[in-house]
Amino acid sequence: MTAVQVVFVLLSLVAVVSALLVVTTPHLVHSALWLVVTLGAIAGVFLVLAAEFVAWVQVLIYVGAVVVLLLFALMLTRAPTGPQPDLTVRRWAPAAFVALLVAVLLGATLVAGFQDVRLDLDQAVVGSAEVTGETVFRRWVLPFEVLSVLLLAALVGAIVLSRLRSEDGDD
Amino acid sequence: MTTLAVSPLLSESVGDFTKPSIEYFDLSPLLIIIGVALAGVIVEAFVPRRLRYVVQTLVAVVGTIAALVMTVFVALGLEPRGDNAGFGAIAAEGAIAVDGPTVFLWGTILVLTLISVFLFAERHLEGGVTAFAGQAAALPGTEAEREASTKGLEHTEVFPLMMFAVAGMLLFPASNDLITMFVALEILSLPLYLLCGLARRRRLLSQEAALKYFMLGAFSSGFFLYGIALVYGYAGSMNLGDIAEAVSGTIGADPLLLGGIGLLAVGLLFKVGAAPFHAWTPDVYQGAPTAVTAFMAACTKVAAFGALLRLFYVGFGAARWDWTPMIWVVAILTMATGCVLALTQSDIKRMLAYSSIAHAGFILTGFVGLNAVATPGTAELTSLQAVLFYLVTYGFMTIGAFAVVTVVRDSSGEATHLSRWSGLGKESPFVAGVFAFFLLGMAGIPLTSGFTGKWAVFTSAWQGGAWPLVVVAALLSAVAAFFYIRVIVLMYFSDPVGEGPTVVMPSVLTTIVIAVGFAATVALGVVPGPVLDLAAHAGQFVR
Repeated sequence: MTAVQVVFVLLSLVAVVSALLVVTTPHLVHSALWLVVTLGAIAGVFLVLAAEFVAWVQVLIYVGAVVVLLLFALMLTRAPTGPQPDLTVRRWAPAAFVALLVAVLLGATLVAGFQDVRLDLDQAVVGSAEVTGETVFRRWVLPFEVLSVLLLAALVGAIVLSRLRSEDGDD
Repeated sequence: MTTLAVSPLLSESVGDFTKPSIEYFDLSPLLIIIGVALAGVIVEAFVPRRLRYVVQTLVAVVGTIAALVMTVFVALGLEPRGDNAGFGAIAAEGAIAVDGPTVFLWGTILVLTLISVFLFAERHLEGGVTAFAGQAAALPGTEAEREASTKGLEHTEVFPLMMFAVAGMLLFPASNDLITMFVALEILSLPLYLLCGLARRRRLLSQEAALKYFMLGAFSSGFFLYGIALVYGYAGSMNLGDIAEAVSGTIGADPLLLGGIGLLAVGLLFKVGAAPFHAWTPDVYQGAPTAVTAFMAACTKVAAFGALLRLFYVGFGAARWDWTPMIWVVAILTMATGCVLALTQSDIKRMLAYSSIAHAGFILTGFVGLNAVATPGTAELTSLQAVLFYLVTYGFMTIGAFAVVTVVRDSSGEATHLSRWSGLGKESPFVAGVFAFFLLGMAGIPLTSGFTGKWAVFTSAWQGGAWPLVVVAALLSAVAAFFYIRVIVLMYFSDPVGEGPTVVMPSVLTTIVIAVGFAATVALGVVPGPVLDLAAHAGQFVR
């Protein structure tokens, strides 16, 4: 085992264990914080796989924005912050089964699709910002641009569904 | 002295980037619709409220017409490509295939959109406001809601939302790789989820419909994504052409490919409302505002069948022996579910929903017939042409029928319960007659477009060797005819219950919609030739 492999295995272990804690802890806030650890460890895994750009995006968007948003939602909605024994519902077993199935499915895809692919870590260009940028802005430019339309539509919809007009109604 | 020089690696890489080539002319219908949606958002922000409705309607109508005109120009400019009787080009770095079937579907979707805009803009039926919630954020039954309705508030955001959905619908059947297809699927779905929840009357039902559609839709998107992952793992590419090459190079069945095909099929069959993925259809069609139901039933089905055709004919064409048995089963299940369950419905919108499920089954019959080559000069049709033609006939009938549903009302809004429709023939022979005609069209009686459409898909499936399926389909059409005719009997030969139904005179907008739907149903039934020729000239998919 090389040093890189050891780091990879350690990071994956951290990710898996903390992911289990996310769904088993009785504290909502703890759950959110364990999510930070999971996502951070996955960012580390991306780094080891030479996907530096994806790793930093993961840190910025998921660890930074998404979890912070989650915590804000917890704070603002007066969700209970103490331990809650009823967070684990009766249907956890089928849910776990579905999760396992998804894991097997994705794992099988990876193994079947990429088992012969070897990364040359010395000159890897797979996940650098340059390669990602070129792919997104050349090969995938249309879907990428059109996705912004989707976000705009979601934004309009969210405003329509949530905003009460002011009293005088002249806006 | 050389410290100022940029590092050679960096300068080289910056110089390397070549601009992606975007064929603006070929994409113009899509770009115009996106532009119209963006213009709608800007109108919403800057135009005073009393003018918004008029401006939004005008922007949507003019934009749709402009996109339609550009579609015609794009269609005239298509050039032959490849060796398989296809016309068109691959545009936007391989993301989009602008070919004959694409342009045909674009035209169909845009015409149906145009008349749907009229339905959206109808204001007479609710006493001067549109049929959408005055203030969606106000909880049903609260003071805020009453206040919104007394002030006559209305959400004009429905027009840009609709245009966003149309943009997704145009992109969906044209997408030439799986990522673009997924993005299009999301863009067409998300605004529809929102629109479903915006009914002015029966808001709880409407919100329930929106939530159900959203949850199940997100679930099916997940299936679609997993399918993409599996197919990518198998083919090593998202591009439909590359996938086709990988598929035709495979000997024997690959579990990855089969799994991928199955999961992608689940995602698409959900959108077309095929059994066993149809459970959302009746609830959503019933709960959504009827204008949205009409738009969704017609345009979503056209777009989703276009994508289904492209994905399976282009991407998985060489593996057809693996997926045809699956589609056979789904087609039979869909027709049976639609026809049998429609018999038991007591709500007109639910009945039309089951009828649309049955139609999805008939279209699948044509789709799976796989009659790839037609003899030129004869009446023979390829499966692709037959399905394209059926989609046109289905779209006009459906929008017309739902438009009639909006005008039959009682004090609480639309009278959708079937018992309220009894005796409609005496109250308004004209409206009852038009509706009866749409029902006969859906049942597939000769001299209506429903008959020519069914004839087209059944003959192409028969020639493709799927005759047992055609026999089943014909038998189930007979069952389907029963519940359509039951409504006609109800309208003409039963006495009204209580006060009976009333027909509210709509403005010219809904009248246009009903007239266009009626005219198309007659015209395509009596002289189907021109549109059939158009479908035949669309040629094959390019890749």
